[in-house]
Amino acid sequence: MIEVRDLTHRYGDSGGNAGAPGNDTGAEAGPFALRDLSIQIPDGEFLVLAGANGSGKSTLVRHFNGLLTPDEGEVLVDDTPVGDDLVAARTRVGMVFQEPRDCFVAATVARDVAFGPENLGLPREEIDRRVERALAAVNMAGRGDERLDRLSGGEQERVAVAGALAMDPAHLVLDEPFTGLDESARESVLAHLLELHRDGTGIVLVTHDLRDVLEHADRLVVLADGEIAVDAPPSADLDAIDDLPVRRPERC
Amino acid sequence: MLTYEPGDSVGHRLDARSKLLLQAAFAAAAFGHTDPVGLAALTGLTTALIALASTTPGVVFVEYRGVLPFLAAAPAIESLRLGAPWIDPAAAVDPALAAYRTLLLLALVAAYVRTTPVRESEAAVARLVPGKAGRLLGLGVGLVFRFLPVLQADLARTREAMAARLGDRRPLRDRVRLVATAGLTRVLSRTDRLAVALRARCLSWDPTPPESTFGRDDVLALALAAALAGWALWPSFAAAVW
Repeated sequence: MIEVRDLTHRYGDSGGNAGAPGNDTGAEAGPFALRDLSIQIPDGEFLVLAGANGSGKSTLVRHFNGLLTPDEGEVLVDDTPVGDDLVAARTRVGMVFQEPRDCFVAATVARDVAFGPENLGLPREEIDRRVERALAAVNMAGRGDERLDRLSGGEQERVAVAGALAMDPAHLVLDEPFTGLDESARESVLAHLLELHRDGTGIVLVTHDLRDVLEHADRLVVLADGEIAVDAPPSADLDAIDDLPVRRPERC
Repeated sequence: MLTYEPGDSVGHRLDARSKLLLQAAFAAAAFGHTDPVGLAALTGLTTALIALASTTPGVVFVEYRGVLPFLAAAPAIESLRLGAPWIDPAAAVDPALAAYRTLLLLALVAAYVRTTPVRESEAAVARLVPGKAGRLLGLGVGLVFRFLPVLQADLARTREAMAARLGDRRPLRDRVRLVATAGLTRVLSRTDRLAVALRARCLSWDPTPPESTFGRDDVLALALAAALAGWALWPSFAAAVW
């Protein structure tokens, strides 16, 4: 379970936390990215986190595994504050970034997917097993020796997902995973995410485009100006997003 | 990240050429007066100048937090000895003063960058250095100022993605290698895309420059620059005459 309690975060001059207590450097504290926000995400839930650009979506999910430090409030993963055990938080919450190339640290598929398990200090056999399993989960089995820069955008996105999966996370957080993908690549990535969800992995999908994804979600959370504007099952509350700048499914 | 911040301070209103000349004169004075008294005077002047540019010492420290350990390391290393008494504090004085002088110069650079749009820096260099050489230099300055923040952001994202997969648990040498390799790949790819984008927008060696903003404040700035240059040269002049 990911639990966020009264989280406040201000944009800082140096990329975050300039306004944090104990970090009074004289740099200007920026505007609020998140304001007094609380949310609980149970294991196995498929949550769609929507909102306009600058609404605080990406900032919120970066708190789930301690990439940012709260200015106020706290974030817990399995009842442990994230800051108390970063390794546990980053193992339990896998993160896939908006631009897959940002995630890559190696030249070939398998070497990159192995990066996380290597950091956990696992035996080589276990690392190989995890790499194979993660690649199979995104339909990239047998392609471990291919160069990353020769893959298509959709394939790169799937490798980035595999890189996070190799950590064996309970929650997979994807920040705008469909950006720049064509329709077939988008469908392919989404199909693999749904399969992971069926197998028990919790999915937190950050997007401003609700097409195709809403029908599969357990819950829709919409952020506006750093606060939760909507938190409801997708079927119940679609009227509430009429005034919010997100792309709605056409059928609604 | 050290980039231009729009504003209406005195620093913002000054012409880029005045600011460049003032910095050059300040640098000359800092190299001409390396004693504690000279550096104390320059500290006061630096504080005043960065305040006129809406920049605080806190901002300067945040922007240069990566540089500060290296500046501090120089006097520390210089004071070490291979035998008894192992540490010689007197040997650290000169490097410490030199490091402090560098910090003052960096503070002024920060004030310049925060108050000067890239296009104005480009034009100022092209105006100060005549001919094609000046235009080429101006273009180079513009590219560096535009490209560096992009690369910094790329590297920051790479480091963040590594941390998300516990890459920060690796030994420092490993992390440096990984970030450097990923960074180099991004630089090359960014450079290719930037070259295409510049060609697509008709990159010109002789673009229309921004309007000159030379005004009354610039006269004062140039007077200060002249005074600093004179002060910088005074020790040599005095030694030659007397």
